[in-house]
Amino acid sequence: MRVMVTGASAPLGAAIVQRLLAEPGVEHVVAVSRAAAPRIHRRLFHRTADLTHPRAVHDLVHDAATAYGVDTVIHAAQHRDPHEVGVPVHTQNVESARWLVLACAAQATIRRFVHRSFADVYAHRDTTSALIDEDAPLELAPGAPQWLRDRVEADLTVSARPTGRLQIAVLRLAELVARDTGSQLWDYLSSRICLRPIGFDPIINVLALDDAAAAFVAAARSSATGAFNIRGADTLPLSRAIVQSGRAELPVPGPWLAPLYRLRHAVAGFEFRYDLNLERFHFGGMLDGERAARELGYRPSTRVVWPRPWWRVLLQRLAETRS
Amino acid sequence: MVPPRWFANRADPAATSSSCHGRHGDPGCIGRASSATQALRAAVLPVFIRHLLAPHALRVIAAPAHPLRGFRATRHAHTLHCFTGMATANAHSPPSSHATLSTARVAIEAAFHDEGHGYDVFGLHPPTLGRMLALGAPLYDRYFRVSSEGIAHVPTHGPTILVANHAGALPVDAAMLCFDVLRRTEPPRIPRAIADHFVPRVPVVGTWLSRCGVVPGTRRNVARLLERGELIAIWPEGTTGPAKRFRDRYRLQAWRVGFAELAIRYQAQIVPVSILGAEESWPLAARLGVRWYGAPYLPIPAWPVPLPVHYRIEYGAAIDLRCLAEQADDPAIVAAAAARVHAVLSRQLDDMRFARRGIFR
Repeated sequence: MRVMVTGASAPLGAAIVQRLLAEPGVEHVVAVSRAAAPRIHRRLFHRTADLTHPRAVHDLVHDAATAYGVDTVIHAAQHRDPHEVGVPVHTQNVESARWLVLACAAQATIRRFVHRSFADVYAHRDTTSALIDEDAPLELAPGAPQWLRDRVEADLTVSARPTGRLQIAVLRLAELVARDTGSQLWDYLSSRICLRPIGFDPIINVLALDDAAAAFVAAARSSATGAFNIRGADTLPLSRAIVQSGRAELPVPGPWLAPLYRLRHAVAGFEFRYDLNLERFHFGGMLDGERAARELGYRPSTRVVWPRPWWRVLLQRLAETRS
Repeated sequence: MVPPRWFANRADPAATSSSCHGRHGDPGCIGRASSATQALRAAVLPVFIRHLLAPHALRVIAAPAHPLRGFRATRHAHTLHCFTGMATANAHSPPSSHATLSTARVAIEAAFHDEGHGYDVFGLHPPTLGRMLALGAPLYDRYFRVSSEGIAHVPTHGPTILVANHAGALPVDAAMLCFDVLRRTEPPRIPRAIADHFVPRVPVVGTWLSRCGVVPGTRRNVARLLERGELIAIWPEGTTGPAKRFRDRYRLQAWRVGFAELAIRYQAQIVPVSILGAEESWPLAARLGVRWYGAPYLPIPAWPVPLPVHYRIEYGAAIDLRCLAEQADDPAIVAAAAARVHAVLSRQLDDMRFARRGIFR
């Protein structure tokens, strides 16, 4: 298997590359990022490309297919800042995926395309099930923020493409709790006091970086097509996640939360946007990972490392050292 | 410090039986108490409630009202052990009997699909359910004096649907049914009550109910529970049952059929459950057309608190629809299966209603 990974400089992309290099069946990996990186493995090749330009995408895929004989493409690159909007963001999130999948379909050697999508594409409403399977309704509300609309559009752009020679798998990842991954929950749990809507304590499911990488590798190996929910090993109430992170929670009335977090963003620069998480913070909604388990052989196994304060991490390490 | 006599009685089975024999001179007397004892109980009741509300105690005390005083003493001795850390709750579980489920048993013995942090995907948290069981025990035992028959019809394992009638301004009947199932099944099975869509929207209540095992009634949720072989409780009348007029009491309303299809598809057994008492206990006086949190109406009860009507629950013989497994997509078959359950439950309700001597007795 010869694999090309986009977004390789981000934590998820790097984890996927590491995991692929550990696989015995992988001949080599082409890691694509904006900036050049040192070659750390004999089976690893780096390419720099700006995926917001169609010509660059075309050239990248053509070179990867002809020079490296790539047969599988993992598209993990995504814009991470939820506060940025506009055409450039849309281009990076949606158009690059479209160009990439079209370019891959045109190459004879490429047989598999794995796209990173998000659990946010589902409509989290009180009328939807607590368990969300792949057939659940998507968030197509016209008033949805661009951050959500882009994710839904990219997901549909890739997953609605008819399956021909190019087998397409779309992985809808549960919330990835890790630094620098664009995780809303990580940012939420990084503040000392976490505001929570009064009277609601939804059950959430979160994904560790290792499990996410394992899911991508499993999808690359498999020939199954379609959308797959990738759930994590941690299922717990939001209040419990706050406790696990060593933070204090402060329940406040729901309508106050969006303006409070906007103010917080303006003053302290936090990335968390309550309007993106409003439904989820009230009603929860968990991905049903049965299909991924059945067809990809993916089962979550790694617990999340919570964004604890530094002194708690230190205490924990001391305790571990003593024991 | 000398412990109160009431507490000492419960801590020592021998003391309990001897004092009882001394008062009444009747070795068979195990339930009566003198007025002095009652006064003493009233004095120490607040202390007992404080003990009951202590988090550690909540894990081990259910204190079901049981005519066998010795049995209760055993339970309290067991509680004392737990207070002093001398024994774990599970190690000293009392012998199997009806109405014996302690909160610890709910937390420890009842099977549920833990997702790693003590919660399942729907939010069930057995320790919270156990606390609710302890706090609601006086309602179940003393206030409504719930009596039930036919618990043996509830299978000990496998996908099962309890189908019951629904009435009352607020779903007290549902709570009593869940209490009854939890306390009388052996090993304890946690009934997953299926609630209307609006329930998760209600602040505090929605979260609290989900911790107690209540699941929003979507098809996917119910299907997953049945796939896992859980025991679910459904009220196919929905909100039309509690909303009916008092003169229509114990007449089953329009019946949804989705439960029958799911029972056929997932090869679940259906146990019809008739509940008597809810109609008279807390009837609906009016319905306000205020759709708060998506609820179809705002119920106005006839009186502020439910009357202490004697609740009666009867579990009918399980209806096995497994022979129809291939016909789950046939609407006629599904409707016929639902109608069959409707007829059985109606008959069961009528029989119970004619057999009872009074609503408070």
